[in-house]
Order: sequence, then structure tokens, then C-alpha cells
Amino acid sequence: MNKRAVILSTIIAFGFVLVLVRLADIMLLNHERLSRAARLQQVVSRDIEVARGTIYDRRGRELAVNVETESLYCEPKNMDAPGKAAAMISKLTAIEHKTLLKTFSSGRGFTWIRRKLDPDVAGHIKRLELEGIGFKTELQRFYPEGRLMSHVVGLVGIDNQPLEAVELRYDDTLRKPGGMVMVLRDASGMQISEGMDTQARGNSIVLTVDSGLQYIVEEELQEAMLKWNASNAVAVMMNPYTGEILAMSNRPTYDPNSPAESSSQMRRNGAVADLYEPGSTFKLVMAAAAIEAGAVRPEDRFDCSKGSIKVGKWTIKDSHRQGVLSFKEVVQKSSNVGTIMIGLELGRNKMVRQAENFGFGEKTGIDLPGEAKGWITRESPSEVATASLSIGYGVAVTPLQVLRAYSAIANGGVLVTPHVVSEIRTPEGYPMIELKPDAGKRAVSAKTAAALKEILMAVTEQDGTAFEAAVDGNRVAGKTGTAVMRDGNSGGYSKGKYASSFVGFVPAEDPKMALIVVIYDPKGGYYGGLVAAPVFKNIAEKSLAYLNVPRDDSVEQNILTVRAEGSRQ
Amino acid sequence: MKINKHLIKNLDWFLPAMAVIITLVGIMTIFSATRPPDGGQHPSYFMKQAYWLLLGLLAMSAIVSFDYIWLGRAAYVLYVVGILLLAAVLIGGRSGMGAQRWLSLGPLSFQPSELFKLFFVIAFARYMATLKSPLKGTDIIKAFLMFAALPFAMLVKQPDLGTAVVLFSLFIALVLTKGVGRKVFAFIIIAGIISIPFLGNILWGELKDYQKNRIVAFMEPAVDPAGVGYHIIQSKVAIGSGGFWGKGYLKGTQGPFRFLPEKHTDFIFSVFAEEHGLAGCILLLMAYLALIYRAVDTARKAKDEFGRFLALGITFMLTAYTVINIAMTMGLMPIVGIPLPFMSYGGTALLGNFMAVGILMNIRARRFELFY
Repeated sequence: MNKRAVILSTIIAFGFVLVLVRLADIMLLNHERLSRAARLQQVVSRDIEVARGTIYDRRGRELAVNVETESLYCEPKNMDAPGKAAAMISKLTAIEHKTLLKTFSSGRGFTWIRRKLDPDVAGHIKRLELEGIGFKTELQRFYPEGRLMSHVVGLVGIDNQPLEAVELRYDDTLRKPGGMVMVLRDASGMQISEGMDTQARGNSIVLTVDSGLQYIVEEELQEAMLKWNASNAVAVMMNPYTGEILAMSNRPTYDPNSPAESSSQMRRNGAVADLYEPGSTFKLVMAAAAIEAGAVRPEDRFDCSKGSIKVGKWTIKDSHRQGVLSFKEVVQKSSNVGTIMIGLELGRNKMVRQAENFGFGEKTGIDLPGEAKGWITRESPSEVATASLSIGYGVAVTPLQVLRAYSAIANGGVLVTPHVVSEIRTPEGYPMIELKPDAGKRAVSAKTAAALKEILMAVTEQDGTAFEAAVDGNRVAGKTGTAVMRDGNSGGYSKGKYASSFVGFVPAEDPKMALIVVIYDPKGGYYGGLVAAPVFKNIAEKSLAYLNVPRDDSVEQNILTVRAEGSRQ
Repeated sequence: MKINKHLIKNLDWFLPAMAVIITLVGIMTIFSATRPPDGGQHPSYFMKQAYWLLLGLLAMSAIVSFDYIWLGRAAYVLYVVGILLLAAVLIGGRSGMGAQRWLSLGPLSFQPSELFKLFFVIAFARYMATLKSPLKGTDIIKAFLMFAALPFAMLVKQPDLGTAVVLFSLFIALVLTKGVGRKVFAFIIIAGIISIPFLGNILWGELKDYQKNRIVAFMEPAVDPAGVGYHIIQSKVAIGSGGFWGKGYLKGTQGPFRFLPEKHTDFIFSVFAEEHGLAGCILLLMAYLALIYRAVDTARKAKDEFGRFLALGITFMLTAYTVINIAMTMGLMPIVGIPLPFMSYGGTALLGNFMAVGILMNIRARRFELFY
């Protein structure tokens, strides 16, 4: 029996040794590989959910902040009385009883019922202490100013995912310093460790926009929309020296606090995304090209007394019959006949080159998503095409591109880069990055810019097309535009639909703002000088007052007063 | 009752001590394996297992207090009862995981096959003790018909393939230990080799799909890592990520994160290995080895042939279960679904194992007693 015991013991020992060898093989030799396999299936890296940074306007007013809200979820597998719970929650949340009951009886795991609930309702449901019903605190974006500036600030979705404008363009910044966090997950993919850190806040952003100016612009634009029963409208105010956007408004608009009620059409920022044919405001290109080429002097005269000009088989008329006009007067009175005469003399290439120098056909580089770059027709350089281009047809531009071109005249000839964000601050509020885009290339020489400014100032004089844009106390330089709108469907020109615009800067000698107003499809009037110019004037007057810009004559007046007082002694 | 000072002095405390230690380690591991990862309610498996441990200790004490001779006298009755229990499972048992293994008794449910294997060992040891060594061919055939054929068929039918395989090899092992003539030994070997393809074919036809899949998975786990190979791969990942020192108690992730199926039952060893590493595994294996060698020693010292075969049968059973279970978790064997003795969650099995310990203690304590 002893011999057998030894044999048996040996067999048993052999079995154990076999197990041990295999164990050592797996646990030592394959340890690295299998540990990696474990990590790969258990650890995933996710974005840290931080509270998005605050967005301020240039004066430090809060435009986008976070508030804590409660989100309601259920775990049907842990529910003991789905029917009762469904009835009570249905009553409080107005979610259909049938829908709730179906979810609650499903026996599933975690399921959202309603995200970001009204605090009162959340409190009521909490007090019920229902089994299998729970709350999760989530951060909700809140926009204290509502629809004011919604096209600049943008909005986020239910998961705080960025949807529009600065929220979208600066999403990374608003979530940094966030980075990635390693979270554990189980076999069914459920996240186990917490990836969210509500204490962590993203960087803040300071906009160039002034909500005071924005308010003025919004109000005037709204009034014009109602007065002219227009389909759309855009107004943009910019510092012509720096490219800082001071105000940017669109109609229609939307309330970022109720994302579900807004359509993509309402969220569209027409100032940067919508292309239109500018019409007469584009005559600036002809004028600049002519002066740069030395082809004309302001006193050169052009006979426009026929009131129309025949190009190819087309006849183009002036809106009012003019006599013999000087170069300056051609622009001042926006004569199509005069403009085409000069344009044809210059030739298409010079005008296209000048348009490109003004930045048409390329993006302005503004820090907002969805910018369109527009185009200049590349068709064969026929006389008709050249004539069209000189009066602002056959070219597609954004309102912002036009504003930038006029800003170049205001600042002495340089293309600026429009931008809406001036500064990034740490979550604690310390300055971190100042965003100052480089000054762009030169559009026209300083001399040309000065000459053009002189001409544009005449537009708002008594005998110009836009006396309506003249501001009490400060000279305005600018230009009207009245263009037949393209029909969205056929691509041809539509009858009776116009894009009326006025673009300019004020005070002309020392510009504090450049401003463009475009009113699409106004009813009961359509000339830029009639529809858009008064909007410009109202905005400009209120804004100049808001900014405490002195009247053009006040400096001299003050000096005179001081002298007068001095002489008395 | 034959409790006297003499008996208590002769009682072996090493065996139950080892068994209780391993069981406590098992309860700790069950606690860790079933802990909810997200702070929910902790399932009460570990508490249930602790109750079963107390019940097992009671059963063990009861068995020690009677002379095991009585077990021999009741052996065939127990065997018939065991067969009837298996039949009851086949007729009115509760299914779980593709097999019909449980029998409900009021609030309790238990696995008759876990008790049957003990009755089988007792009855077969009784029968072997009556035979003369070396065994003749007719003895073996008779024994096979009486003790192997029917239960084997019933277990395969359940199906509880793991237990069937263990019991069949137990049968062979005890026959060989009893001693056979050279001709008979040669015959067994040749018959075995010849019958393997036939038996294999019949068995393969009888197997349920999930069993076939397990065997395919054993051969080639990478063929379908999300499907049939999943158990083996996840178990190896758990064991391998333990390394030498392990991740530490309650630091294992494969079990609680639900990557490892059957984490507190058949794959409890993988959970233990992940947390305690090779070092812990060596200690655990040493504990099992100590228990098993004590059982071998008990067989060696038994005063009679019945006690010897009873102890041997229990030894072989514990060894087979331990080695097969661990080998299974490491992909050395197909997954046959048998528990790790004393460690795996499961009341009936734990009860049966402590009854087996009680029998071993009984044999050892009475090794000096003479027949009355």
C-alpha cells in the first residue's frame, strides 16, 4: 500500500506542478500582454467634462455662464412599482403616461427620463422618494442676455456640445484646461469612475463686442425690419483700425436659452455666411482702381446726360437722369452710366485686381464658423461683364467683406482682420492670451484712401444719395447700395426684390466705427439711401453718444472758449 | 453516540483547519468578485456562503461522531437515494445556464449531483473493499454496470459533464489502485484506446451546443473572442494581469466589472489570482496540496480496506476537482463547469466537501480502533 501511496502522491504532485508551470507562464511571462489586454478593455480615455468658461463682452458683462440643474433618470431594473412611478412623474413633468410606463417596465439599466429639469419639478419628484428614480446634477449653459448677440455668442446643445458661433469656434478654449481623463468601464461599456469634474472650469473669453452698442444696433435693426417688413437684415459695426467687431446683429434671430425653438435659418449669421450682390457699394472698387491707376482725377468730367448707356445688347439706366458729372459726383450721385464709362475705360483686369486687393473672393478670417468667401465672376472679359462688375453685379460678397473694404478707406488703406474675441483669461480671471490679428495687406495707398474718403464724405451731403445717413455733429463717409436680389431658386434676378444697404464710417476724419446695414427685400421702398441710410444714421448717432465721441466742431469750440476766457483776463 | 476522550484526542484538526482556511479565503474572494463597481448594493453571496460553511461544519461534526462503519452499512442505500435524487432532477429539476442541475426544496435549492458524488464514493469504496486483489475482468465489468453506467448516463443527460468525467475517472483510478492483473490492465488500455473514437462520437452527438462550443473554444479561443472563446480569454486576462504580487485585495477589476463570467463560482480562482498574484496562488496551491496529502496519509493509515478506499476516493475527487478547475481557468482544459472545492460559491458543494472532510477525520480518528 505504501508503494501505491507514493505513486498516487507523485501523480497528484505532477498535476499540481503542471498547474504551477502554466500559472507561471501566464502570470510572469505573459503578464505584460495580458495586463495590456485588461487595460485596453477597462480603461478608456474621455474628455474631462469641465464647466465651460464664461463669455464676457468687452466691458466685462457676462454673456454665457453655467447654472447647476438636475437631470432625471431611472433604472427600471431596480423599480418596484413602475405603474405608480409613471403616474406620479407623468403628472409632474407632463410626459405622456404611456411612454413612461413603457420605459419603466422595460427592466433596463440607466435611462434618462428628462435632462435639465425645472428646479421646482425636480424638488417635487425628489420628495416622492421613488425606488429606481434618481437625479444627476448637470451644468446647463445660461445666456443672461438672451437673444442679444446670439449670433456672436452662439449656443450649446443638451450635452453642452457646441453648436454655433463663439461657443463652437472657441470650444477647445472654453473647455481647457480640461484634457483627457482615464475612466474605467465595465463589460457592458458603462462608465464606472467619474470623468466629470464640476470644480474644473474652462478658460474665459472676452469678446470685442460691446453689449451697449449691440443693444442699439439690435433695436434699430428690429425697428427697420418692422417698418419695411423686410425678410432679413444684417448690421455689423467694427473698429476700422483694429478689426474688432463692436456689434453684429441679424434678423431673424433666436434665443439661445431655448435651442429647440430655433431653426437653422434663425441661427444663420448672415453677416458672414450670406452672399449677396452688393450693387452700388461696390462702385468703391471702380473708384479705387481708377485713382490707383492714375486714370482719373476727381475733377475729370463725364457726360451722363443721356441717362443710359448701351453695353452690348443691354441698356443700363441711371435712377435719376444726371448732367455732366465730375468723377467725384459719379460716386456721390451713384451714377451707373458714369461708373460704367470709367469701368470700361479701366478694363476688367484692373477692377478684378482691385477687388481682390479689397479682400473680395476670400474669407476675411473672422473667428466665427461658417464664413463664406464669395466670388468674382470668372466669365470671359466681355464688355457686359466688365460693366456689370463696375456697378456691383456678377460678384458675390458678404456684408462683412464690404464693411472691411470701407474700413480700409477709413484707416488709410489697410485691410484689417475682423475678429470677435479679444482676450482669453484663465478660469480665475487672469489675462492669458491677447488676440490681436496682424494688420493685413494694403488695399490702396494712403493717398488713394484719403481721396476716396473725400469722395465718400460727399455722399452724405445735401446733394448726395444718402443725405439720410448724415449724422448731426459728425461727418459721415459712406455709400449706398441698391441691388436687385437673385432669386434663390432660379438663380435669375427676381422682380421687385432688392437688397438695400448703406456702408460707411464716422466720424469721417477720425473714424470710431465702420458700420454696414443691409436690409433684404424691403416693402414700400427700396433705395439704399431711403431704407438703409436712416438705420445707419440712427445707430451711428446713438452709438457716438454712447461712446462719448465729441462733435467734429467741439474741439475748435473748446479752444475758442478757452481763448475767449483767456482774453477776458 | 461514541464520543469519548480517546476519540477526541485522536481527532485530526489539521484537515478541518485547512478546509476552513481555504473556505474563508473563498468567502473573501466571493466578496471581492461580486462587489458592485459603482457603489450599489453588495449582493449577499458571501453571507450565504458563510451560512453554508456553518452548516457544513455541523454536518462534519455529525459525521465524525458516528463510526464510519455505519457509512459502509448504509452505503448501498445512500447510493440508491443518490440515483433517485438524480432522477428527480431529470424529471422535476430547475434549469440554469442550459443545464438542469438544481432541485428546489422550499426556499432552498440544491444540486443533487454535488451530494451524489459523495454517495457514489462511499458505495463504490464499500464494493471495492469486498473484492479481492487483483481484480478479474468480470469484477470490473460488474462494477462498471453497477456503479458507472447508470449515473454516468444520467449526469450526461442533465447535463453535468464535469461531474460525469470526474466520476468516470474516479472509477478507473480506484479500480487501478485496487490492482488488476497485467492482462486486464492491458485490456483496459486497449479497450480504452479503441473505444475513444466511438465514445467520442456518441458523446459529441449527445453534447449540447454550448458544450461543443466550449471544446471548440478550448482548441482555438481566438476564433471567436466575443463568443465561445470569451470565458477563456477573460479568465486568462484576469490571471495574467495579477503578475507576481497581484493587484491587491479588492483591487481586481475583471470580476466586478463583469468581464469575467461566473466570477464567484467556476472562475473564482481567476479572481483570486488577479488580486493575489503568483505568490498568493502558490500559497493557495500549497494549502490544497497539504489538505490532499493529509487525505492520502489518511488512506495509508486506514485500519481497513473500506476506510482506505473511502479515503482514496475522496482524495482523488478533491484532487480532480481542484486540478481540473484551475486548469480550466488557465485554458489547459475545456470549460466543463465544475467548481473549485471550498472556494467556489455554491452551498451544496461546500456542504458535500465538509462532509467529505468529516469522513476523512472519522477514518483517521478510528485508525487504532479494532472491530468490535
